[in-house]
Amino acid sequence: MLFYAVFVILPVLFTGALALSSGVRPGLSDMTFAGADNFASLFSDGSSFLFPVLTNTLLYAVGTTVLTTVGGLVAALCLARLPGQGLWRTLYFLPVVTNLVATGNAWKHLYQPDGPLNALLNTLGMDSVGFLQNPATALPSVMIVQSWASLGSAVLILSAGLTTVPRDCLEAAELDGAGPLTILIRITIPLLRPALLFVSITQLLAGLQSFALITVMTENGGPGDTTNVAALEMYRRAFTYGDWGTASAAAFVLLLITLTLALAQLRLFEREGKDT
Amino acid sequence: MTHHRRAPLLPWLITTIGALVMTLPFTDMFLTSLKDPGDYAHLPYRFLPSAFAFANYRDAADELDLATLARTSILTALTVTVSVLCTSSLAGYALAKLRFPGRALLFRFVLATMMLPPFLLLIPHFLILAHWPLAGGNDLYGNGGAGLTTGITALVLPFTVSAFGIFLMRQFITTIPDEILEAARLDGAGELTLWWRIVLPQTTPALITLALLTFTIAWNEYIWPLLISTANPCLMTLPVGMQLLQGHLDPQRTTPLLMAALVISALPVLALFLLLQRHYVRGITEIVEL
Repeated sequence: MLFYAVFVILPVLFTGALALSSGVRPGLSDMTFAGADNFASLFSDGSSFLFPVLTNTLLYAVGTTVLTTVGGLVAALCLARLPGQGLWRTLYFLPVVTNLVATGNAWKHLYQPDGPLNALLNTLGMDSVGFLQNPATALPSVMIVQSWASLGSAVLILSAGLTTVPRDCLEAAELDGAGPLTILIRITIPLLRPALLFVSITQLLAGLQSFALITVMTENGGPGDTTNVAALEMYRRAFTYGDWGTASAAAFVLLLITLTLALAQLRLFEREGKDT
Repeated sequence: MTHHRRAPLLPWLITTIGALVMTLPFTDMFLTSLKDPGDYAHLPYRFLPSAFAFANYRDAADELDLATLARTSILTALTVTVSVLCTSSLAGYALAKLRFPGRALLFRFVLATMMLPPFLLLIPHFLILAHWPLAGGNDLYGNGGAGLTTGITALVLPFTVSAFGIFLMRQFITTIPDEILEAARLDGAGELTLWWRIVLPQTTPALITLALLTFTIAWNEYIWPLLISTANPCLMTLPVGMQLLQGHLDPQRTTPLLMAALVISALPVLALFLLLQRHYVRGITEIVEL
């Protein structure tokens, strides 16, 4: 029994100690107490941390959440009316199990100035777009890929949620002469709320923390800092410049934002529980 | 069904367009991997290759040394999978069936660690490995050398225990009737024997699900191996190698070769997923029901 307890407690304590040591104590041996200096330098004038880095982080998280949730809902609603749901869901789920380097580079190729998407645009009589080269379109272009990559999980969860919507409700509403749109807004979406909340909150938290796809697609947040986000900034400060102090401070700020939103999520869920 | 349903034209249309968008990057990746340089340079862009240059796959494997990268990837992903299966089922067994003080608290603690943002652990994980006492030239206090960052352990160690795995296994082990375990204990079996003889065989479906999810995540992991291999290039995994070695190829031929290499790096988990989807789906649903 002791053996099992030790087997569980040790690694968990290990992880716990690590979590605590990151924000406050940057190094293990040759560290000195710096107080709030690291935080001060993050938010000082001329530091890019607040703008554009944190702004990008929030835009990225909110944008991908909206795209994934809305896209997932539309896809799940359509799938529910079609035969062969399993096959469709498989297609939508493929990006979830494929590595980001492969999907990121596949999209980077699609986005090339002379690439497939621009060829398509030109055939339709439109001008080429410098998707990843233009500072104005770079961040949205990566956001689309991130949403595309996580759409499959959203579809899976929302489809599962849809099966719990009682058929009688829908048929009763139809008999009462309600149109499809009314049914959707008045009945389906309210009943789907738990699933929708779950999808949007997990996407939001993941969006706040993600940076792997960005490093794959834009070479470290370029052009300029236009696609730089907080987690990437933390990674670069720590492992490219060896600045453990401000890197940990950046991680700490990001953690605070994430925790605040996670708590807001709990509140929402609790209220949800009381309503029903 | 007596209730007649309208032909769902709009859903068909949206779903089909959606499926095209979902698969277009893969299709384009595959088609590009089959183009020879002249074919690829053709303007305006052509989706279909004029001839199938399957030799790209052989060349990509040779020039990027995919065999070495694949070996590291396979070794890492398999080690992580085996250790997660062991630690998860052992810990899950302890949390489900053994009575010891603080058990409920411990379980809540495991659940809480699932909420820890992975980016937060990057720095402490790296520092702990670098300052591992008496390893890689370090002294007793963990200074002086490179610690554990230079060996394959560096790729594996942070991933050997999974809170989700512990949770999943605990849920399944709870359903094993206590009577079976009691009977075996009366016959004089120790806890490890019980785990090996009763718990593991009874939870095989859950173990398969956990193994697939763990293998997929370990195979696809990018940031951690990137970090480790910048210090030590021999520790590159397939995804990291793909990303870092792009510049080493002849630019004229780069893209088709790279696409071929990316197809190779994506194939193992894609194949596993297509063959064993229902196990994946069960794992995902467990996460949702949390």
